[in-house]
Amino acid sequence: MSELVPQEDLTLVEEVICGAGGKVYLAPCQIACPLGEDIQRSHAMLALLPLDPEEADRQIIRIGDEIYEKNPLFPVCSYICGICERRCNYKDETGAVRRRMLVRLVADRYIRYLETAPTLPTPDKGKVAVIGSGPGGLMCAYELSKRGYRVTILERSHELGGALRLIPRYRLPGDIVDSVINSLLRIAHIEVRLGAEIGGVGKKIDDLKKEGYQAVFLATGTPVSRPLTINGKPVDNVNLEGVTLGLNLLYEVNQGISSPGLYRDKKVIVVGGGNVAFDVARTARRLGGEVTLVCLENENRSSRDGIPADGEEVEGAAQEGIRIVYSRGVAEVIGESGKFKKIKCPRCTSVFDENGGFSPRFNHDDVVYLEGDVLLVTIGQGRDRAIYEQEGLLGKSRKLDVDEITLMSNLKEGVFIGGDVKRVGFAAEAMRDGLNAAESIDRYIRGEDLRTGRKKEYQDAPVLSNAYYKSQPPLIWVPAEERLNFEPFEKPFTLEQVVEEARRCLCCGPCKSCKGCVAAGLQPVVSGIEYDEESCINCGDCAFYCPCDAISFKIPHGVSFDMTLCRGCGLCAAVCPAMAIELESWERERISGSITEAVSDMKRPGILVFLCQWTVLPPLDKKTNPNAGVIDVPCAARVESIHILEALQQGVGGVLIVACPEEDCHRQTGSREVQRSIAALEKRLSQIGIQDRVSFCTVTPRHQEEFERELERFSRKIESIGSKESK
Amino acid sequence: MIVTTLKPLDEVLGFILPYSDILVVGCDGCNQPPRGLREASTLGQLLDLAGKPRGKVFNFKITTVGKQCDDYMAASVLKPQTGNAEAVLSLACGLGVQTLAKIFPELPVFPVQNTHFMGAEDRDDGILEMRCVGCGDCLLAVTGGICPLACCPKGLLNGACGGAKDDKCELSPEKDCAWVLIYNSLKRQGKLDLLKGYRPPRDYQLTGWKITA
Repeated sequence: MSELVPQEDLTLVEEVICGAGGKVYLAPCQIACPLGEDIQRSHAMLALLPLDPEEADRQIIRIGDEIYEKNPLFPVCSYICGICERRCNYKDETGAVRRRMLVRLVADRYIRYLETAPTLPTPDKGKVAVIGSGPGGLMCAYELSKRGYRVTILERSHELGGALRLIPRYRLPGDIVDSVINSLLRIAHIEVRLGAEIGGVGKKIDDLKKEGYQAVFLATGTPVSRPLTINGKPVDNVNLEGVTLGLNLLYEVNQGISSPGLYRDKKVIVVGGGNVAFDVARTARRLGGEVTLVCLENENRSSRDGIPADGEEVEGAAQEGIRIVYSRGVAEVIGESGKFKKIKCPRCTSVFDENGGFSPRFNHDDVVYLEGDVLLVTIGQGRDRAIYEQEGLLGKSRKLDVDEITLMSNLKEGVFIGGDVKRVGFAAEAMRDGLNAAESIDRYIRGEDLRTGRKKEYQDAPVLSNAYYKSQPPLIWVPAEERLNFEPFEKPFTLEQVVEEARRCLCCGPCKSCKGCVAAGLQPVVSGIEYDEESCINCGDCAFYCPCDAISFKIPHGVSFDMTLCRGCGLCAAVCPAMAIELESWERERISGSITEAVSDMKRPGILVFLCQWTVLPPLDKKTNPNAGVIDVPCAARVESIHILEALQQGVGGVLIVACPEEDCHRQTGSREVQRSIAALEKRLSQIGIQDRVSFCTVTPRHQEEFERELERFSRKIESIGSKESK
Repeated sequence: MIVTTLKPLDEVLGFILPYSDILVVGCDGCNQPPRGLREASTLGQLLDLAGKPRGKVFNFKITTVGKQCDDYMAASVLKPQTGNAEAVLSLACGLGVQTLAKIFPELPVFPVQNTHFMGAEDRDDGILEMRCVGCGDCLLAVTGGICPLACCPKGLLNGACGGAKDDKCELSPEKDCAWVLIYNSLKRQGKLDLLKGYRPPRDYQLTGWKITA
């Protein structure tokens, strides 16, 4: 583990409660993440990474440690998730921050480290059985082990991973799944029994209890494919040769059972419009098939009856030459001498009823026939009911009767149920169930109340009204003609691209819920504000200029600071006409002290530089720049004319204020505001003929050469002024 | 608020060159832009930088007052701080400068600013605009909250002059016609009847120059 910055409490995230409602303020992406990853924090830390690969790697491992703590399957998520991106405040502007690609870089580095990462302490508490080894089961097992329980995973098949094993390898490489699961088992001391049948002819839950398991988590997923139906009745002829379930194909391909040219020169029809149907279609295409996908839904994704698969899937499939037939159902499967021949497809006029229930309607007068050699049916999955029936876990109308918060069965104590078997969703959602079940099981075994304090309410932190939106970097895919194989075709971002993309994050959440800059060693604390109400003259300038609407007027006078919104730029402190506001760590006196110190340390004519720390530049080399001194500021907005004049009074030749360009300003408007105030100061300095001694410039973050160029240019100017004056 | 602008520094420097110990007094009152402690400090720094090339070293005492135009407040706050000041620089409007001149009869008191008018502020556009002339006979109740004396260049009290074009004043196409604004405002409030009344000529005696507080 890296020890770059001590993991003191100061760097740890805090829960920020907004107002009196008791809700927790958070960036919307973090509210969306089922596992509550500290998304903003890792983005801030990635944005501040050094570009030296070795040094960056050390810090990436540390970022990985933090993500792993909350999500031990994050390398997998970095290929298949992206729930957070759907709620990114950038999404509707220029496109979400590509969190998935950012985490991919961390994952690619971290997965190697994971193989030798230290294990958790050996658990010694009670035994818990987890049935099913998909994302939900794995997460539950990991969390329970972290809490000291001895966990056994019982898996029916011969390998772990559940539905992850059905994801085509061009989307999720098999070795990633293997590596993540193997490391997880090792780190968390999880025992595994493969080929373990539970229910049916296999063991019963009571048998497990007799073996000493104190609780059971059932996360058996949805391994059963839904059959084709029309008007509520099964479609005939599904036993024809050439008619297969899509899931079987995915399984066989990932197991290496099917031959690479399985569908060469064959016409393949895939039925279904979900992501899995697209997995099947694109897999069939990679096996040489000429693929047509038929779905009930229409092309307009935003409509009620729009296709449910992700846009990227639809786009990728189209590029690969897959024909998509929208708004068609399957009324009849027609064969010829025992072999599949064609399907009869009436136009689907609507998919869902007024209440959103699945109830497709057809126009049987508008019919097309699609001919093919193979029919792959992928129209959804269901659970294997046997065990739930046998164990009496089904309630009214044969539905699972599970407490929504605790995930404990309402019909059987000590039995917890979650993941896809409860509600089909994303992998991360199944993992959330695993996490919740672990919490419940821990409480259950300790005899505590299962429900107290479980439900937390969240509130989206507001977006900066004057946010600057940079364009979203495109995903780079291998061209369609070159990617018809099972190698991942999405190109990872380089370190430079990751740093750039992480910088795009608006950091919507409260500073204290993130502290990424503190963890990365950029600043000592998340700065507080000190406000001297007695000196306040009620001018309102602080409230007017605050870029994050963190300052409001008090009645009858004075202002108040909402520190859940403050981003610590210090603009309020810099503009207050009464100097009644101070920014912690950058107090007026402290900056004055730094000026005196820097000035005493420099050769004449000296140049004092006020440098925004978000430019992420290395410290100034005193050997090559003996006449310059740098004062880091949290944002150029913190620079005030008093300090510039102080430096001039102390005899420096010139003062250079360096900000990030407006579009890179971490505080969004800091860069613009300081330009305004410097311009006003320059105007006054021109009245006494020394305006050239103060200069403002912007430097693209990390571009040291830009900074050096600006410094050099300014130094020359100051020297020329000096020589003119001495003449 | 009283709208002011800073005088050029060399003019201020000219005032104080004969002196060395100078009291610089900000005003936290209705000055706009605010000229409080920060402005007083900045002014001292700038004058210090301006004096140096002329071999002039000043000793500034920087302070501020809630309202310079309140003689009681100004005297209470400033008298104990006078020390051996030889001159006073006032960052207030003309009212503050005159008040300080009254409470420091032996000392020269210099204005740092030019005083313009009573203005209202439009923050977003960064504009300070004269909206009141202090006529002593406020008409705003019957003119929809818009003062024709301040906003109509002709100071007409009984409706538009007829010269407005596209709702703009004939004197300046950038300026809204005050009477169009008044009409629209009264219309929004359903009080167009008010326009039927006759407003007699302004009584200049009311402007006055002194009121017993």
